[in-house]
Amino acid sequence: MIVLETENLTKKFGGLTAVNNVSMTVNEGDIVGLIGPNGAGKTTLINAISGLNPPTSGWVKMFGHKTTGLPPEKMCQRGLSRTFQIPSPFPKMTAIESVMTATIFGNKSGKVHDPVQHSRQMLEFVEFPMKETVVAEQLNTVQLKRLDLARALASNPKLLFMDEMASGLSEGELNDIMRIIDKISKKGISILMIEHIMQLIMAVCNRLLCIQFGTKIAEGLTKEVANDPKVTKAYLG
Amino acid sequence: MDTTTAHQQMNPFDKLLDKLCLTPAGLLGLILLFALPYIPPFNQEYMLRWLIYCGFIAAMSVGFDLTAGYISIVNFGYAAVSGFGGYTSALLVINLGLSPWIAMAAGGMTAGVLGLMIGMISLRLRGIFAACLSWFFGLAIMGLATKMVWLTRGPSGLRTPRLFETDSNVPFYFLIIILLYLIYLACKWVVRSKMGLAFQAIGQNMDAARTSGINPVYYRVFNFTMSCAIAGVLGGYYAHFYGILTPDIMHTGKTVEVLAIAYIGGRGSLWGGAVIAFPFIFIMEIIRSSLSNLPGLNLIIYALVLILVMIYYPGGFSYFYDTNIRKVKNKALRYFFNGRA
Repeated sequence: MIVLETENLTKKFGGLTAVNNVSMTVNEGDIVGLIGPNGAGKTTLINAISGLNPPTSGWVKMFGHKTTGLPPEKMCQRGLSRTFQIPSPFPKMTAIESVMTATIFGNKSGKVHDPVQHSRQMLEFVEFPMKETVVAEQLNTVQLKRLDLARALASNPKLLFMDEMASGLSEGELNDIMRIIDKISKKGISILMIEHIMQLIMAVCNRLLCIQFGTKIAEGLTKEVANDPKVTKAYLG
Repeated sequence: MDTTTAHQQMNPFDKLLDKLCLTPAGLLGLILLFALPYIPPFNQEYMLRWLIYCGFIAAMSVGFDLTAGYISIVNFGYAAVSGFGGYTSALLVINLGLSPWIAMAAGGMTAGVLGLMIGMISLRLRGIFAACLSWFFGLAIMGLATKMVWLTRGPSGLRTPRLFETDSNVPFYFLIIILLYLIYLACKWVVRSKMGLAFQAIGQNMDAARTSGINPVYYRVFNFTMSCAIAGVLGGYYAHFYGILTPDIMHTGKTVEVLAIAYIGGRGSLWGGAVIAFPFIFIMEIIRSSLSNLPGLNLIIYALVLILVMIYYPGGFSYFYDTNIRKVKNKALRYFFNGRA
């Protein structure tokens, strides 16, 4: 089943075309890696899909319904969730409150009976290393990324966008995050992840999408795309 | 929002206190406020007038904090919105012969509608831009009140009937304390519900809030409407207490007074400003009356204290209270400051 489909998606900022005619699909159970050099338009692409920065033209379909230009809160309730490149939970809230926000407002009413319990489970699920009462502004980047992930998962998404989840992590932390991604995927959540760390991409992604200057240059199985001369050229120049 | 689940084994008194959003210390403070008019030297009429002004600013700061402390938008037109409510109320009484009590409520409603408008228009704006917009709104309303002399009598002032037909200030004092408490209670109930979580999320990180499924339009507009309606009711009280209304009540200086109290008291606490207002405004009034040859000195002191608080202690009094006083070791004291232990 196709979870997400875009057709000729374009995002222009004035005269600058940040995303140019990108068509792509994410199937159920996929872990798709979105790769490309810095400034290629990866984040802009997922912003356009998730509604934070609606596309200029083209369309987005999620679970067979057109969702082009829907605001992020609607997309969230339809089952799309995302984390941020610069992890950004709510600075003055405690960890559990941050997660509860998404638990309460991200789930359509009545689906979660005990929001506190559900939020706790989410923090456990992402192996959040601190106490649940810690205030978010006291956390370091790694912890914030975990918290942001827990927040994103709390709305019970069917599709998850992860924006550079693993950048700046040590070897050990990288293994942890791989295990967590694996767990998320086993829950039946399809994943689209922006990532630069090839080690992680090769290990977890089953398909890859490479964009450069806002244009898609390759899409397909991980091995094929990674060995595609166009992709190698984009990365190495 | 409360994340603890230890609500079951509370005795009825604690449960009641919790419902009333008070700690034992808070309850004692409230009782003290009610007893104040009978304790010398506060039983003198001129001191009571100061205390009433303290109560007015305290109540304003609670309503102001609902917007500034929760959705992080500083409503610089707050005094103007309050004055708008006051003028509406006064004009209804004078021209239609309504009872001041009903007119006060009507003033609150019209101010709420004004808040709804400001909220709608400033929706796409963030932070400082929304603050500027609300400020311009306030200046425009103040301009109107000054220029529409045929309706408001402009700077020469509008005479308004008072709420109680008495020379004593005591009933007015009790009324403002009751209003202060009711406003605090209403705000506290709102922020304790799911809504408070949404307010905080929007105020702290709009993008993360939206991707978590929160519709910012609804919550922001609701917040603005509620906070402005509170200002409107208080404006009505102001009009029917002093018996004369000039456009001065809408001045930005008044907003700054409320803002200073709310910030010194502690943003996002609701009660901080209300507690700080009484000693602080009272001292200000003493300074103002004893140094009457230096007009505007109180504004300089506000500015200084505000700057010092923002630089060295941005959490304000409520943060100091939460981190130091609430965490005492003694069990009885701990209960006294925190309520249910």
